[in-house]
Amino acid sequence: MSNDLTLTFLKAGLQTTLQDNGRKGYQQLGIPKGGALDQSSASMANHIVGNESDEPLLEITMAGPEILFDSDAIIAVTGAHFDVYSDNVLIENDKVHYLESGTMIRFDKLNAGCRAYLAVAGNWKVKKWKDSVSPLLQVAEATPNSVIKKGTKININSSYLNHTNLWDKKIPYPALSNKVRLRVLVGPEFHSISRLAIANFFGKGHKVSNDANRMGYRLSSQLEKATEIKELISSGIIPGTVQLTGSGQPIILLNDAQTTGGYPRIANIIDEDLDQLAQLKPGDEIWFSLI
Amino acid sequence: MMKIRPYGSHALLINFEQKIDLEIHHLVKGYFNAISEFEEVSYQIPAYCSITVVFDKKTTDYEHLKSKIELLEIEPSKTTAKTTTIEIPVCYEAAYAPDLASLAQELNLKPEEVISLHTAETYDVYMMGFLPGFPYLGKLPVALECKRKSTPRKQVKAGNVGLAGQQTGIYPSDAPGGWQLIGQTPLKIFDPHRKDAFLLKMGDRVQFKSINAETYIKIKQDVE
Repeated sequence: MSNDLTLTFLKAGLQTTLQDNGRKGYQQLGIPKGGALDQSSASMANHIVGNESDEPLLEITMAGPEILFDSDAIIAVTGAHFDVYSDNVLIENDKVHYLESGTMIRFDKLNAGCRAYLAVAGNWKVKKWKDSVSPLLQVAEATPNSVIKKGTKININSSYLNHTNLWDKKIPYPALSNKVRLRVLVGPEFHSISRLAIANFFGKGHKVSNDANRMGYRLSSQLEKATEIKELISSGIIPGTVQLTGSGQPIILLNDAQTTGGYPRIANIIDEDLDQLAQLKPGDEIWFSLI
Repeated sequence: MMKIRPYGSHALLINFEQKIDLEIHHLVKGYFNAISEFEEVSYQIPAYCSITVVFDKKTTDYEHLKSKIELLEIEPSKTTAKTTTIEIPVCYEAAYAPDLASLAQELNLKPEEVISLHTAETYDVYMMGFLPGFPYLGKLPVALECKRKSTPRKQVKAGNVGLAGQQTGIYPSDAPGGWQLIGQTPLKIFDPHRKDAFLLKMGDRVQFKSINAETYIKIKQDVE
């Protein structure tokens, strides 16, 4: 049995976007990878409602939306912990929920983490560009519905009798904490920075600054003796690369960052820890450990 | 010589001699094309003198991929044979070239000399980056080498043609930028609605052709 479902956004939230696994194979053209920042929470949400892991879903950042469901639906919320209301009833993360036609889902207070994922069972009728719904910052028209605004409508061919799943404990899932240790490997230009800068990098906690978005997180710490850093001939950037900017501030580049850059790449956060990073918000603290 | 090193947990970095040089560009192009055939590679980022190769850890690891790349025999001369040259019309008239007059003065040239130098050369697309579809073209004739603007513009228009260092480039979309703007093309070098969204790719060659405002407007109407 299937039916047509429309989600109508009465409030958009701070930054609500459609995401999936992103784009691979277009980076030589300057196209960033995009895709859900916390991939394990995203694939968990789709897994619970019985979707394929690359089905589009909503990435909800720090302040969430209000969404009206005009038909019956199966949903799951994973990742950051918000107070999420189904009409006036609080619903739990990581569980399957059956909604009746006319239900309003409202994201209220954020309790922990930064990004939540809302999956809805069915086939999302949204425009993809180069295999993905992930919005491109400079080219919004490529995926016109992917940045959610007040009044946006998303159509889903919902399969009500989908096969739903329980939370799969085997999928690694990021802990939601304000202070995390992230594992890094030395980056290509690690040896171009001073010993004191290295000591500061590993010996101190680094706070995430307010300049933190899907392109990257600028850290508020200043690495000493980092002023002699020269710009290099532009070279490839991948999610998790830690660059040292001219002012000596480290910046962690994420999925929407440009594909090439000229600052020294001092470290790379291993892919397994990027989901954890995606759940950090301004003011949270990172300690780096070398593996 | 080429050096390969790990780059994060799922990628490796191939570094060639670190300079902007045509022979190295042909090596990058040759390796990029050969590695594109590897199924275990998710994506690559070719740059001036490096290639970032991101792989699928389920099907390979760093050591295996490194050996496989080292076994490739790449002859740069062979990669130049199939090159396409694309002609890009540019209007260099004052209304389309906000920095041409001041730049010409800075370089001790007349604006017409800047235009004839810029159109005389055929440029190679060394790499794409910065923005979706932004081509880094090189190298500029020595007489045109220049610094970026000290204060970047908040908004550069799609189609603006700029100079920076030894490079020239074309803005694929409206974006902030610090390049010296000497003209504008009516062509859309990046259009997500087009089947072939990108007019240029790494390895192509570009020839700029000077057009007047009238022709600019006519072509602009044709492409819209």
